Amino acid sequence: MQTPFTIEPKNSDGFDCFAFHGNIDALAETQMKELPRRIRQPLVKFDFRNTGRINSMGIALLLRCLKTIKEENKPQIRLIQVSPMNAMLFKMTGLLLLAELDGAQPERPARGGN
Amino acid sequence: MHTSRTVLALFKSADDETLCNPLMTGIPGIIRLRAGDNAVASLENLKRVGIEPSLSIVSGRLYPGERPDLVAALRRLFPATEVLLLASAADPFPPLQPLAADLVRHLAISPAAPGSQGSREAKCQFLAAIKKLVEGRPWKMADHLRPGTPVQAHNVSSSAQKEELIALIEALIAGDSAEIELLRQRGALLADELLENALYDAPQREDGSKIYRKGEERSIAPQERIVFRFGFDGEILAMEIADGWGSLSPDLVLKHLAGNQHGPEMADDAGGRGLFIIWRIMDQFHVNITPGRRTVVGGHLKAASPLDLDAPRGFHISTHF
Repeated sequence: MQTPFTIEPKNSDGFDCFAFHGNIDALAETQMKELPRRIRQPLVKFDFRNTGRINSMGIALLLRCLKTIKEENKPQIRLIQVSPMNAMLFKMTGLLLLAELDGAQPERPARGGN
Repeated sequence: MHTSRTVLALFKSADDETLCNPLMTGIPGIIRLRAGDNAVASLENLKRVGIEPSLSIVSGRLYPGERPDLVAALRRLFPATEVLLLASAADPFPPLQPLAADLVRHLAISPAAPGSQGSREAKCQFLAAIKKLVEGRPWKMADHLRPGTPVQAHNVSSSAQKEELIALIEALIAGDSAEIELLRQRGALLADELLENALYDAPQREDGSKIYRKGEERSIAPQERIVFRFGFDGEILAMEIADGWGSLSPDLVLKHLAGNQHGPEMADDAGGRGLFIIWRIMDQFHVNITPGRRTVVGGHLKAASPLDLDAPRGFHISTHF
């Protein structure tokens, strides 16, 4: 059975941090839509260490979310613990025009399908 | 099916022709033309002597940059000709907007280093592609697998099968190396995109609007007939999906690929992002369309292919009636 997508806020000083768990696809829509409202700090980090597969719908949701965050709050956005596969996807689809890749990248992403 | 089997190849210059030559030898009866400043006049001369090419191979050093009008001239003089753009891996990747505007449905990449093992494989694939185009035969994913490789075929009856089918592909790609792990990840994403395309993008009303929303749980009606095929021969992963809608068109595929090619104004709702991702990940990507009846989207990917966004990729989009 597929692991449900969840967004976990992580306590941090001076910046917002949210970890994504599971695959990011159409089923993540509701949570991704609500995420911009949770941004408070001038720097926000999104942790992809436990993210599984991100498909084109997931990319669309991420793009929409990051654009909204930029428009409403104008914070700096950093993407951390991004696998090489997802980094390629982000570059291919323009996501890195809205956010920076930051930090060490895990070799193998979390398996969101079990 | 074309009645003529004449193949025409258009080069920018003698140097350009020399570079393309390793791929061209082996094409029977090919007519070679160095286009230069008198390209259209040369084509008109061919027309006058009764030559009607079923396939026109155009060098990427000529079109779209140097002679953006060339394909339009070809189509005016030889309306039945199929056009294949041959771009070199040594050159910047061509922009796809002109190809979309001119409906250039075939793009092949010639290797930067002639004489390498990769270039010998490229030549075999290129000649096989030329043969298919001249004979009017569709691309099939099993063409790229070692003979005798088992191919799994699954009838998709529900959207709930998606994760199960992806898990089957992941299990098929056995091994612990970094290369194999990356192939598993790419294979899983490809399968995800192919399945979502057939489940949610293919079903359309008469006005072209989508019937189902992405992520919606749905059953597949018997007449939809979605069949997902895949195989792995230890080096190459090949897969394709066929749906019974036939709602894609070559024009739309090209628009999606071209529209997603350049990032800066990337809309979050850009159509065809899934097809674009499939194309950029696969080593070779094909779409066979029988309008209103069937669409097949597929291709293959080698385990050894690097994760390289800048690596040029070809495509073949064909229509069968």
